[in-house]
Amino acid sequence: MMPTAIFVAVAILLVLFLLLITKRKEVEEQESDQATAATPSDCRDALQRPELVLRIFSREDREFVLQMRSPRLQQIYQEERRKVALHWVRKTSREVSRIMHTHRLMARLSRNLDVVAEVKLLWQYLELRFICGLLVLLIEALGPHALHDLASYAGELSQLIGRTLPDAAAASRVTSSENPGTL
Amino acid sequence: MPQQQVASHRQKTREPYKHSMSDSVKLVTLSSAYDDLQHRTLSGIPCDLARLIYLASTRDYNSGVYHHEGLSARYGPESTRVALRAAHKDIFYRLIALSLEELVNELGIYVRISREAPTGFIHAWQELEPYRVAVPMEVHSTMVQLFHSNIRLALEVLKFRQEHSQPYPSASSLQPLLGR
Repeated sequence: MMPTAIFVAVAILLVLFLLLITKRKEVEEQESDQATAATPSDCRDALQRPELVLRIFSREDREFVLQMRSPRLQQIYQEERRKVALHWVRKTSREVSRIMHTHRLMARLSRNLDVVAEVKLLWQYLELRFICGLLVLLIEALGPHALHDLASYAGELSQLIGRTLPDAAAASRVTSSENPGTL
Repeated sequence: MPQQQVASHRQKTREPYKHSMSDSVKLVTLSSAYDDLQHRTLSGIPCDLARLIYLASTRDYNSGVYHHEGLSARYGPESTRVALRAAHKDIFYRLIALSLEELVNELGIYVRISREAPTGFIHAWQELEPYRVAVPMEVHSTMVQLFHSNIRLALEVLKFRQEHSQPYPSASSLQPLLGR
């Protein structure tokens, strides 16, 4: 019972911590960002241009810089991309918060609220804020290509485990081929 | 002229769409101004970065309003402003979509056509950051950040190539960029 309670408490604290991180940074950035942001087209562009994300986290650009074989260039690249990636995450988080704020104001006036839909929406909002917080942490700590790096690392680790425990890996392959429907 | 530009202009005027004669005339004029700008002026500029700088230079620093004498005389000031603004945004979006390598090539062409010594050019651009005023208004701030960041990186790459005597891309390798 006790370990479960500790686990839940840690999870809640972590969520609150991540929400606080994005909130605090958003306020800081909002002050410095007022000159360029908050135009009506700002939101429109953001929603219409998912390729922007692909450009920020582009592997092609990273490989191009790596080809130069200059530690200084690589460092500058990491720092530049980190700044842009963090800006994008905070901006996205802030835009969704703004939409939720407007929705909350409208919902107060509504007479036929769909409670299930509202709870679902709130859950999605919290989920997004959590992901944004997690992304901020990962980008701050590991750089803009953190997710890709983590996935590669996980792949390498699984191969390493497979090599370290060849019998178990082979048995697992046999079991999964015998029961293709199971995971 | 892309339909999107026409639709965007219609949306900005915030008037319900009516098939009136004056609206049609306005759209045709706007479309003609945009095509004229593309074919007579912008096609003569060798790269998108130079086109972006040129279009930014037609914008008043204080008011943000675009001016072009020749186009205004033919199509009127309002259509000219909308056409210049649309072309400016289109080219900005094209530059944002480029990979870093393509942007480095683009900047390389711009350095060449500027007829400045590459070292002096890179130093001036790093110090003065003139590309900051080349960004169109009302674009997503993350795009602006990405553009500034990419130009800074492209300058660093060119500087690195200069220091290590790596030649700029050959004229033949630039053909796809020029033809875009």
